[in-house]
Amino acid sequence: MSESLQQALDVSVFWEYRTVLLRGLAVNVYVFAAAAVLALGIGLGAALLRVNRFRALRWIGTLHVEIFRNAPDYIMVVWVHFVLPLLIGYVIHRRFELHPFVSAVIGLGFVYSGYFAETFRAGIEAVPIAHIEAGRSCGMSERLILWRIVLPQVVRRMLPESINQFISLFKATTIVSLIAVPDLMYQVSMITQQEMRPLPLYTGAALTYFAVILLAGSGLRALSERWRRKIYA
Amino acid sequence: MSEQPTIRAVDVHKRFGTIEVLKGVSFEVHRGSVVSMIGASGSGKSTLLRCINHLETPTSGDILIDGESLCFRGGTGSERRPRPLAEINRMRRDLGIVFQQFNLWPHMTVLGNVIEAPIRVRGLARKEAIALGEACLARVHLGEKAIEYPARLSGGQQQRVAIARALAMQPKVMLFDEPTSSLDPELTDEVLGVMRELANDGTTMIVVTHEMGFAREVSDRVMFLHNGLIEEEGLPAEIFSAPKSERFRQFISKHLRPAS
Repeated sequence: MSESLQQALDVSVFWEYRTVLLRGLAVNVYVFAAAAVLALGIGLGAALLRVNRFRALRWIGTLHVEIFRNAPDYIMVVWVHFVLPLLIGYVIHRRFELHPFVSAVIGLGFVYSGYFAETFRAGIEAVPIAHIEAGRSCGMSERLILWRIVLPQVVRRMLPESINQFISLFKATTIVSLIAVPDLMYQVSMITQQEMRPLPLYTGAALTYFAVILLAGSGLRALSERWRRKIYA
Repeated sequence: MSEQPTIRAVDVHKRFGTIEVLKGVSFEVHRGSVVSMIGASGSGKSTLLRCINHLETPTSGDILIDGESLCFRGGTGSERRPRPLAEINRMRRDLGIVFQQFNLWPHMTVLGNVIEAPIRVRGLARKEAIALGEACLARVHLGEKAIEYPARLSGGQQQRVAIARALAMQPKVMLFDEPTSSLDPELTDEVLGVMRELANDGTTMIVVTHEMGFAREVSDRVMFLHNGLIEEEGLPAEIFSAPKSERFRQFISKHLRPAS
C-alpha cells in the first residue's frame, strides 16, 4: 500500500475533530428536515394543482414541477442566496438578505418539491375513483374525502419512493457549504485549512454519510413495510 | 296508499356523449318496500341507481326523496337552480349505496370504515359511533371482525362490511348495485342472506341484480329495464310467471334458475 493511500485511509484526524464535525452533521440534519417539510408541503400543493379540474391551475402545477425538477440543486441554492435577495430588494426598494441556512432550505426545498409533486400526483391518481364515490355516497364533502380517504392512501403508496427521495435530499445537503452553512462538509474544509490533510477528512465524511444514510434508510424501509403490509395483504 | 313515496324518479334521462343510456324512466318506491331492477348489461339499470344518489347527474328529469328534489332547489318556478353540492351531500346521507366492488377504504379497519361517515358527516361522538358501528356489524354477522383490515377478509365479508357501512348512516333507502356480481357463488348466499334479513326488517331497498331467485322471492316489485326504459314491471309473482313482452320472456328463460 502506498504511503499516500495509507494516509488517506487513516481517519484518526477525523476522530480528533469529532465534536465540531458532529455539530456540522447536525446542521445537515436540520437543513434536511426543514427542506423536507418545505418540499412535502409545496409538493403536495403542486400535485393538487396538477389534478385540479381547472386547466389554468393544472398548468401552474405543471410549470412548477418542470421548473424545479429541472433545476440543478447546486445552482438553485446559489441563485436563491445571491440573486433572489437582489430581486426582492429591487421590488421592496430596500436592502434584503437571506440567512445562508434559509437560502439552503428554500433552494433544496423547492427543487425537491418538484420531485415530491410527481410522487404525490402518481399516488393520488392511483387511488381508485370508486373509493372516492364511496365517500361521496356517504355524504362526505370533497375536502373530507381528500384528507380522510385519498391522502392517507397516497402517503402509504408513495412511501417507498419517498424514502429514496429523502436519501437524495440528505445527500444534497452536502452542497450547502457553498454558501457557508456550517455543515459537515463546511467543517471538513475548515479543518483542512488548518491540518492540510484533506484526504482522511473526506474519507471520514464519506463513511459518516454512508453510515447515517444506511441506518436511517433501512430503518425507514422496515417501518414503512410493516405499516403497508396490514393494508396491501 | 296516499303516503309520499320515499323515492320518486321523474322522467330521468341520462346521456353520455351521444349515447342515451336512460330515455325517460319514472317510478316510485314506498317506505318499507323492496324493488328489484333487472335487465341485460347495458340496459341502464346501474346508471339509474347511480342517478338516484347523484353519483351521476341526470341529463334531465329529477329524483325526489320524500318529496324533496335531489337535483334542483327553488321549487318549480323561475327560482329553480341546480342543487349545490353541499346540499346534495346532505341529502345523500339518506341514501346508502352498496357497490359491486365493495369499495371499502383499505387503510381503515372494518370498524373504521363503518364509523367514518357517522363521525365526520353526522357529527356523532366517537363513543356513540362505535356503539352504532358495532350494532351495524352485528346485523351483518361480522361483529368479531371489527379490528381487521379489509384486505384480510373474503369478498363476501367485505361486501357485508360495505352493507354495514351504508347502514351506519341510518339511511331512508338502501341502494344495491349488483352486490353479488363480483363474488364467487359460494360467497353470494351469505350476502343475499343479509339482504333478505334487511328486507324482512322493513328496510326500503332498491336492488340492481342478476339474482332472479332473490328478485322473485324478496322483492315487492320487479322492474325490467331494456334500452334505457322500463319495459315491464309488476309484482314478482305475476311478471315472472306471465311475462308480457317477448324480450322479458327471453330474458327470463336465459336467467331464471329455480328459486333456492
